[in-house]
Amino acid sequence: MFPTALDRGGLTAEGKVRSERRFAFTIAAVFTAAGAAWILVTDVLLYGLFEEPEVIARLETAKGCVFIVLTALILYAVAQRCAARLTRAQDTISAIVDSIADGVLLLGRDRKIKHANPAAVRRLGYDRLAGMDASEFSRRFRLTYLDGSLVPPDEFISQRVFDETGPLHYKAVVHPQNGKEFVISATAAAVRSKAGVPAEVVVSVFHDITEADQLERLRDQFFAGAAHSLKTPVAIIKANVQILSRFDAPQHRRAIAPIERQCERIDRLVQNLLVLARLRSQTLKLHPCETELRPLVAEVALEMGRASRQHEVRAELVASPRAFVDEERFALALCNVIDDALRTSTPGSPVTVLLTQHSQEAVIGVRRQPLPPEERTLEAHGEYDDLGISRCVARTVISALGGALREDQESPESTTWIRLSVTEGSRGNS
Amino acid sequence: METRNDVLVVDDDADMLDVMKFVLDEAGYSVRSAENGKQALEATAAQVPALVLLDMLMPVMDGWQCARELRARYGNVPIVVVTAAENARAFGAEVGADDVLPKPFEINDLLQVVERYVARPAPSHPAA
Repeated sequence: MFPTALDRGGLTAEGKVRSERRFAFTIAAVFTAAGAAWILVTDVLLYGLFEEPEVIARLETAKGCVFIVLTALILYAVAQRCAARLTRAQDTISAIVDSIADGVLLLGRDRKIKHANPAAVRRLGYDRLAGMDASEFSRRFRLTYLDGSLVPPDEFISQRVFDETGPLHYKAVVHPQNGKEFVISATAAAVRSKAGVPAEVVVSVFHDITEADQLERLRDQFFAGAAHSLKTPVAIIKANVQILSRFDAPQHRRAIAPIERQCERIDRLVQNLLVLARLRSQTLKLHPCETELRPLVAEVALEMGRASRQHEVRAELVASPRAFVDEERFALALCNVIDDALRTSTPGSPVTVLLTQHSQEAVIGVRRQPLPPEERTLEAHGEYDDLGISRCVARTVISALGGALREDQESPESTTWIRLSVTEGSRGNS
Repeated sequence: METRNDVLVVDDDADMLDVMKFVLDEAGYSVRSAENGKQALEATAAQVPALVLLDMLMPVMDGWQCARELRARYGNVPIVVVTAAENARAFGAEVGADDVLPKPFEINDLLQVVERYVARPAPSHPAA
């Protein structure tokens, strides 16, 4: 028997075609056999019982009429059975969609909502969603990103997924006209009969994550607040230590230098925690402006060299490219990359900071002699220790600036490369 | 009457005030201090400083309100925002500050930023 929609769920596309062909072939075969048997049996009976051609001709006509009626009855039964199965399959799918606790919106080829399940109607507080297009949805529910900026109707994932490969996902805030705003996590996927053809249906599922989001925001605010609170004491310690270091007593210098180094370390950790908190809450904002990279890279390399006890930090800066960067965040990312190199290098080996320009790219390299694999104990630490956090922040900041960060192993050296697009008029290598 | 090397430091943290005062005193500046925006306005009423070093997050009157009042009363008095806030530059732009010095800062950076607006006086005592 032809399987139901659910039975067919586990079948591959080829399996489904085979199943459909088998079903059609069975019906055609049964019909052919029954039709042939009917003709054969009735002809034998007819020519056995009657001899007059006129009677035979009339009975042949009657026989044909009976055949047509029987065929029509069989076709009716088969068609009715198939239609009933299709209806049941549609009912099953509708019942599944309606039983989902998350809001589900089904969009048709015209990109309008065809069906909204009860959870969607309940959460949005509006029951006339069917037939609504993206612009009307935007007017009625004003969708914004988490940073408060409006999601334009043509950027709804339920619209984009008609043209892009899905599924697509985002978090957004819904502001109903007559209700309290709430945060959703939404996913949209297009249903296509085969790859490359236009979507027949788009399924958009959203889940209310307001409570989880509030908890997340509280945690991130705590992070940001704690980090901010740590900065002032660090600033006071650092400034006082610098005052002490002006009184150039050698016995003091020995104690002062580690305090300065640790202050720098706490400061960097605090900045990394702030960036991480912003990343997690998707509120990281960069303020890029056209910057000459050479003095900035030189300053960071110099500072990191001063702070290192075991390694010399050399700078080989042979170009003066300009790029759009957020100076503060870029300097933090570069500090992180150099700090990573300092902490994972063979003791006493130098770390070299390179700056060149290749075509339209500024290329910053941090070269080191890595520790042998058996001595890389820091690598075993989790992603949330300070090294893991600083790597994550460096990667994210460089990526947010439109650049790329990559590591090359060229035994016995290893280089971390940062590539950024240069602005027009950048000077090449000198 | 404006004194050309008069710097007003506004910060709610007494230790921070002390250290900034010490550094600027040592550099020969005439330094006054205030623990919040309200005290800063009282101090400027007596004498308009050549430069205001202004923290943002303070009790009684915060840096935003203080900066607005200073601009309204004295026009272009230079204001340098000195803050530990993450978005120090955005805060500075918001209040129309002339400069921003994020905390923690290097003493040399503090001196450089002050020198940008107030001529450095001749040392009153030899460097230690």
